[in-house]
Amino acid sequence: MATYLLRRLLLMIPTVLGITLMVFLLVALAPGGIGAGLAVQGGQMSDTSKVAQMQAYLEDRYGLNDNVFVQYARWLGRVSPLKFGTTPLVAPTGDLVREPRDLPEPVMTWAFPAPAAFVVQYTVPSGDALIEDFKRLQREAEGTRRTYVGSVRGMKDALADHVRALGAPWTARLEPKGGADPERFRDLSLDGDAPTLVKLRSAAAAMHASWTEAEASRQRATIAFLARPYPAAGFEIIPNAFSLGAPDFGVAFSRNRPVWDLIATALPVTILINFIAFPIIYLVAVPTGVLASVRRGGAFDVISGLMFLLLYSVPVVLTGVFAIGFLANNQYLGWFPVSGLHDSAAATMTFMPYTDVAGTWHRGWLLDMVWHLALPVLCLVYAGFAVLSKQTRAAMLENFSSDYVRTARAKGVPSRDVIISHVLRNSLLPLITMFVGIFPAMLGGSVVVERIFTIPGMGSLVIEAINLRDRELILANTFMISSVSLLALLLADILYALCDPRVAYD
Amino acid sequence: MQNRFGLKDVFVVVLLLATLASVWLSMVQKTRIELAVDGLRVKLGEMERQAALFQREVEKGLAGGVVVQQGGGGIAVSNDAWARPGVAIQRWPNPAPATNPEGQPGFSVGGEFTEIFEAQPAKLVPYIQSDVYGTRVLDRVCEGLGSFDPKTLKMVGVLADAWQIDPDGLWIRAHINPRARFSDGAPVTAEDVRWTNLDFIANPLIEAERSRSTQDNLKDVKVIDERTVEFLFKEPFFTNVLIAFGNPVLPKHWYSKFEPSQLNQATGLLMGSGQFKLERLPTGPEDLSVQWTPGTDVVLVRNEQYWAAKPSLERIRYKTVSDELARLVAFRNGEGDLITPSSPQFNKVTREEPGFEEKAFALKWVNMRCGYSFIAWQCGPRAGKDLTPFADVRVRRAMTHLLDRERMITDIWDGIGIVSKGPMNPESPASDPATKPYAYDPDKGKALLAEAGWQDRNGDGILEDASGKKFTFEYTYASGGEIAERLARFVKDSYAKAGIDVVTRPVEWSRYQEILKLRDFDAITLAWGANAPESDPRQIYHSESMKEGGDNFVQWKNADADALIEKGRRTMDESERMLVWRQLEQVIAADQPYTFVRVSPWLRFVSRKFGNVNTYRTGLQPEEFYRVALPAPGSE
Repeated sequence: MATYLLRRLLLMIPTVLGITLMVFLLVALAPGGIGAGLAVQGGQMSDTSKVAQMQAYLEDRYGLNDNVFVQYARWLGRVSPLKFGTTPLVAPTGDLVREPRDLPEPVMTWAFPAPAAFVVQYTVPSGDALIEDFKRLQREAEGTRRTYVGSVRGMKDALADHVRALGAPWTARLEPKGGADPERFRDLSLDGDAPTLVKLRSAAAAMHASWTEAEASRQRATIAFLARPYPAAGFEIIPNAFSLGAPDFGVAFSRNRPVWDLIATALPVTILINFIAFPIIYLVAVPTGVLASVRRGGAFDVISGLMFLLLYSVPVVLTGVFAIGFLANNQYLGWFPVSGLHDSAAATMTFMPYTDVAGTWHRGWLLDMVWHLALPVLCLVYAGFAVLSKQTRAAMLENFSSDYVRTARAKGVPSRDVIISHVLRNSLLPLITMFVGIFPAMLGGSVVVERIFTIPGMGSLVIEAINLRDRELILANTFMISSVSLLALLLADILYALCDPRVAYD
Repeated sequence: MQNRFGLKDVFVVVLLLATLASVWLSMVQKTRIELAVDGLRVKLGEMERQAALFQREVEKGLAGGVVVQQGGGGIAVSNDAWARPGVAIQRWPNPAPATNPEGQPGFSVGGEFTEIFEAQPAKLVPYIQSDVYGTRVLDRVCEGLGSFDPKTLKMVGVLADAWQIDPDGLWIRAHINPRARFSDGAPVTAEDVRWTNLDFIANPLIEAERSRSTQDNLKDVKVIDERTVEFLFKEPFFTNVLIAFGNPVLPKHWYSKFEPSQLNQATGLLMGSGQFKLERLPTGPEDLSVQWTPGTDVVLVRNEQYWAAKPSLERIRYKTVSDELARLVAFRNGEGDLITPSSPQFNKVTREEPGFEEKAFALKWVNMRCGYSFIAWQCGPRAGKDLTPFADVRVRRAMTHLLDRERMITDIWDGIGIVSKGPMNPESPASDPATKPYAYDPDKGKALLAEAGWQDRNGDGILEDASGKKFTFEYTYASGGEIAERLARFVKDSYAKAGIDVVTRPVEWSRYQEILKLRDFDAITLAWGANAPESDPRQIYHSESMKEGGDNFVQWKNADADALIEKGRRTMDESERMLVWRQLEQVIAADQPYTFVRVSPWLRFVSRKFGNVNTYRTGLQPEEFYRVALPAPGSE
């Protein structure tokens, strides 16, 4: 059993890696690319937001213009508990601080040779002064980097202008969006004194000047970083080469918040709802299935089967809309609240219901939540009855015709005992497979129900992440859901072995 | 194994019952404590209310007793040592509500107002937040040096009680109202303004790139004295005024407590000098967990420290209901007091429910935040290859004449909306009221097409040019929306009548950016948003913006328009500039790079439980609302 478990667990690693790689490629290759939704956030484009500049910033900030596989390797490096390379530091705020990034190379080096590489000498102060100094250098390095990245853009624009001034056939090499890829113009002669050439030269000079400045700042910040203003993150095995650390899922760029924070707020909501919904499904469906199988072909069997199938075929969207339109609308029944998990006044409610001196009944926090959850849970539950009860019924019927049941009946075991302790117990085995399916479902949430009832759970989070192509969030969710699914499948196998002595993994 | 109920089982059952009982008892006890706390809270609230009323009276008395500087114009009532000599000073004595609610029927102080959002704001941190819902909260909590007057749309002082604007547009000097203070009582100083611009927005470690990129033209911000601040600019653009006055001023003493990474990842760090403040706000990095987080309602309470006329509402609550029908039901049920209905909802409710408007204001008006939708024609080569038929200005004009936009609005938007005539907001002085949109005139359209060489030469009902090429084009639109689908069908039918074959091409919204960037379309439908009376047209209509990074994706080039745009953005005088924009409006109308379709008005339902609900040219001002007192107290 132990070797089997180990083998299964080890097999999970390549499976999860494969899944994340596939999702990573899907997001990267999707039309619009990573972060495409950001520019058009909120369904409206705005001329003042300077989409292009924002995009250049995001590309540099998250390294989006690198090769997809490089990006994936970087993501994997952050998520993996084994960390290679310079060990990140932990600031007092709890944030990971990484070594300052290398600058992108200057462009058009064949025409305008890049300034010679240099090494900056810098002595860092010690103690608290180091922290202050590091913060200052960090800001300086980011600022000069931004200027430098801007100047590279300026350089490309100047080149595009020059090419446009030259006219055909050069313009044919421009990108359709009007930009110039310097690599395509290696054979372009840059001699002469056309005004666009003068501009190009001054753009190159500006690029080199800002590169020198940014590179010097980066080196100073790196020196200060290596002096360790903060303690190292995780557990260092070989300093600045190999360490163990917690997985870092990064920052969701659509909301600019750590992915883990977002999941930590959304997950409990979804789990709460599912923890209420799934027991209800099981408590209704399993006994119904049992009864239906006992009175096979009887009125109960037919009616319950028909009812559940009818419920199964009503789409959740429709139920949700009807529930809000009739059950929650004061013009009709108005029994339930429309949205959310709590009343506006929930923060000041008592936990338990009570009746005050005037005889008015107050429902309290607990009942308020139950009341708010009633409609969403209803929508989650009703469609689940059919499959589970039919499954139970089928399994029961199969067992009823087995030899051991006939034997039990023949030796005079009371019918109730036969049904409950013989048939039902054996019929529960197939239900295990269905049961473990709950776990990934819980993580995924129910998109439709969450949207209709404005429940800030995992479903809304995932769908928004996909719409906005928020890579970090999508990947973290995929990673989590795929790991949990795999673990749940393993759990199912273990449960089989525990419940059924015939099953053994050796 | 025997199934006997033994001593051990008794013990287990007793233990279980005891645990359950103690849990129950602790819950009951907790409820008792909560009731006691609740009593205290009610008393405290009552005392606060009394204190607020008292303070209001005291301030009124003071204002009556002291001669207030109501100078205006050029009368020097205060010491002008702060100002640069020789430049006119504009003065703005204490800001007042656009419409004073006091004295209106049923006016009362107190009450909670609930606005329902369609989506949750992702975070409430100035400059780092990016959605419209965050902005609506921010506008109540923070103030800039100036803002647009709701009635005239002119820039007027808020935190600034006077300012000077360089006639050449290279500097702006502002004097801060000495009474102005943040919601924690600290005065608003020139250093706060400098810090907000140079150490918050411009700090590269803070993720405020959106605001940072609009500030490219800002050279420096100088503190002249405690209350005087000067902005220096690189180029003389009219948008400098917006950079200087439009940005909310942040309290340096509070925000500088937080590290940039904390600000980047925070969800509810919003503090300013506005009329309301967040109910829960951390005092510093040590209790960051107090801040508002998405998933809960945003609750604002009246800023009792407010330095000018205080609002009458005690609280504003923003809750989110993501489903359209649920929003309307929540509004009807009284769970919200302000919603944005969809166009069909608006019509259905106002037409079919006579009782509805007794309970609610159904508001529909055009204001400066209304954008316009349009069909953009590819005036240059598509994706760098062939020219489209729309490179000919006569064809573009014809396309507009062939489209019955009045009927489009009636049929598709159920009559809600007005025909757009150009890029300028119809409420803005930048738009000439005398300019009329192109009339629906299919004959004229066909004549124009014939003039451009498009005629039905072989009698198949489809136009051909001289070489026999059929007039066909691709119409790109965002898939998924019902309105967009109906619009596409309408466009196809309209042009089919004139003998033009339209191929509809639905694409996913997130691909739009790429299509526009590559100019890979013949005609595309889109809308531009607006949030100010005028915006810099350079980004969209100047030929320089055809380059990468610009938004002239139709590749429209017009020397007159370029000259007017350059002239307009360097004209500091407002009325003069408006004349330039009106000329630009005409040039664009004549050239029709877009067929302007529709200006969508704002639709709002506001509960009649609230008074002083006015529709302004800037939108709504919920801080002016008041809870209408019940006719007879205690008769509820």
